[in-house]
Amino acid sequence: MNLTLSKRNYYGYLFIAPFVLGFLIFGLYPVYNTFYLSFTDTTLMSREANFVGLQNFQRLFADDVFTNAVKNTWLIWLLNFIPQIGIALLLSVWFTSTRLKIRAVGGWRATFFLPNLLMPAAIAALFFSLFSFYGPVNQFLVRAGILPEAMHFLQNVPITRSLVIFIQWWIWFGQTIIIVMAGMTAIPISLYEAAMVDGASSGQMFGRITLPLLKPILIFIFVTSLVGGMQMFDIPFLLTDGRGSPSSSIMTNNILMYLKFSSSRGHIGAASSVGVLVFIMTTIVALGIFYFLRDRD
Amino acid sequence: MLNSYRFNTTLMRVFVYMVLILILIVTIVPIWLLIVNATRSTFEIQQGISFLPSTHLLDNYGVLEGRGMNLFRGFGNSLFIAVATTFITVYFAFMAAYGVVVYDFPGKKLFYGFIILLVLIPLQLSIVGFYQFMSRFGLTDNYASLILPAVASAGAVFFAKQYLDSVVIRELIDAARIDGASEFGIFHRIMMPIAVPGAFTLAIFAFVASWNNFFNAFILISSRDKYTLPMLIQTLRGDMYRTEYGAIYLGLAITVVPIIIIYAVFSRYIVSGIAMGSVKE
Repeated sequence: MNLTLSKRNYYGYLFIAPFVLGFLIFGLYPVYNTFYLSFTDTTLMSREANFVGLQNFQRLFADDVFTNAVKNTWLIWLLNFIPQIGIALLLSVWFTSTRLKIRAVGGWRATFFLPNLLMPAAIAALFFSLFSFYGPVNQFLVRAGILPEAMHFLQNVPITRSLVIFIQWWIWFGQTIIIVMAGMTAIPISLYEAAMVDGASSGQMFGRITLPLLKPILIFIFVTSLVGGMQMFDIPFLLTDGRGSPSSSIMTNNILMYLKFSSSRGHIGAASSVGVLVFIMTTIVALGIFYFLRDRD
Repeated sequence: MLNSYRFNTTLMRVFVYMVLILILIVTIVPIWLLIVNATRSTFEIQQGISFLPSTHLLDNYGVLEGRGMNLFRGFGNSLFIAVATTFITVYFAFMAAYGVVVYDFPGKKLFYGFIILLVLIPLQLSIVGFYQFMSRFGLTDNYASLILPAVASAGAVFFAKQYLDSVVIRELIDAARIDGASEFGIFHRIMMPIAVPGAFTLAIFAFVASWNNFFNAFILISSRDKYTLPMLIQTLRGDMYRTEYGAIYLGLAITVVPIIIIYAVFSRYIVSGIAMGSVKE
């Protein structure tokens, strides 16, 4: 019964064993398998598969469908992320301000976060209905005299793209506020008091105290948002026809991967090659940011 | 001097509240329209916007059901998957986290660093390899392929470790050992009861994530009677319902309202959980 200390510590392996096993089976092997499949012409229909080297990748770059999807994904992600972080910083400063003393901060924050919990598939269908030709938005704009007649919002490239960007922002800004605010309240007040004694302006305090001390949290938000954003699927897939219409303007990485996967022959070799490239791109950027921006100590 | 400072503060405060109310409207209006329209007839919806509920909830449900949309079945399927996923996620995440927090085994630092690395890597992009792997065992179109991967949720382990760091009492563990409790017995009977609030917070996140998950189910599940709620939602957009706006909104509302109720009750846990999962790095 009386285990020696060092022997007992081996119990740690037993406790992490299910995770490690689960990761090897459901995490690591599928990644390996995806890389492997990307070098083959495997389809869902045929039993035979041949090693085709880099052919799948060459085909991806033969037309601009893949590069277009990558560009779209980056564009949609960036344009929703910048206002997201900006508004989160602004509202967090307001919410934590001892001068403004905003009431019911918890209530505002909790309400702003609500969209994050709702099913993205339902949100996409909701906005599809709201912005459809006979939908409420057209009704409102026509009756208010803003539009002369109803328009097909979801056939218009800039409007559809903006809508995806807006919905992504709408889903995520509340969470970003909560995280940024938690980071700000963790900064010791004594730092600000000392700065005030030295006559620092609120802008100076934000730039010299708040931002530098928030850096780890901002990196965390940036990287996790990027990793999620590069896999964006539900909203752009369900907002229009599931093929990135109009004019492939909201075709994202994962929609393209799905289209290859679900094509009539089920070309999972080609679908894998999309997954592999996006995986490599996202991992390099995410780990790169994490590595270069972290505090060097 | 002081008066102008006060005046400026008041002016600023008015401005801030105006911005907050504007964002509040943007946040709430789409959701409110969704719920209200679920109770309005298609005719009423076509007549214009209203922010007040109407009386056609049951009619809309009749339309949904009349066209073969078995939302109850989808609801049950999603619930089953979400509950199973939640239990597996929470139990195994806390088990792994307990191993890291309590024992000093060689390679522990490496393991925990690896967990953080996993959070930063888009593993879901391997869904095609996962699908083909599962199909070899006949596990596609099977809920096992959606539920079992929850054993290895890196984000959940990260959260559980943050939480256990703050609640583990080593003296209690040592006392239990002296009383002859086994290591796993201590984890189950002593640590888990102490960790209930954290486990509960993690459970809410795991539940919502599974409940809302569309992509994986969409790839892995193919038979109609196994469809989850988000998959049924996707079919709502088909031609069959093109003109039945009331029914479409109701279908959407059914997926969204349970989550809003959960949130109304547990928002405190959820908001503090998000802050905890990120702040300590």
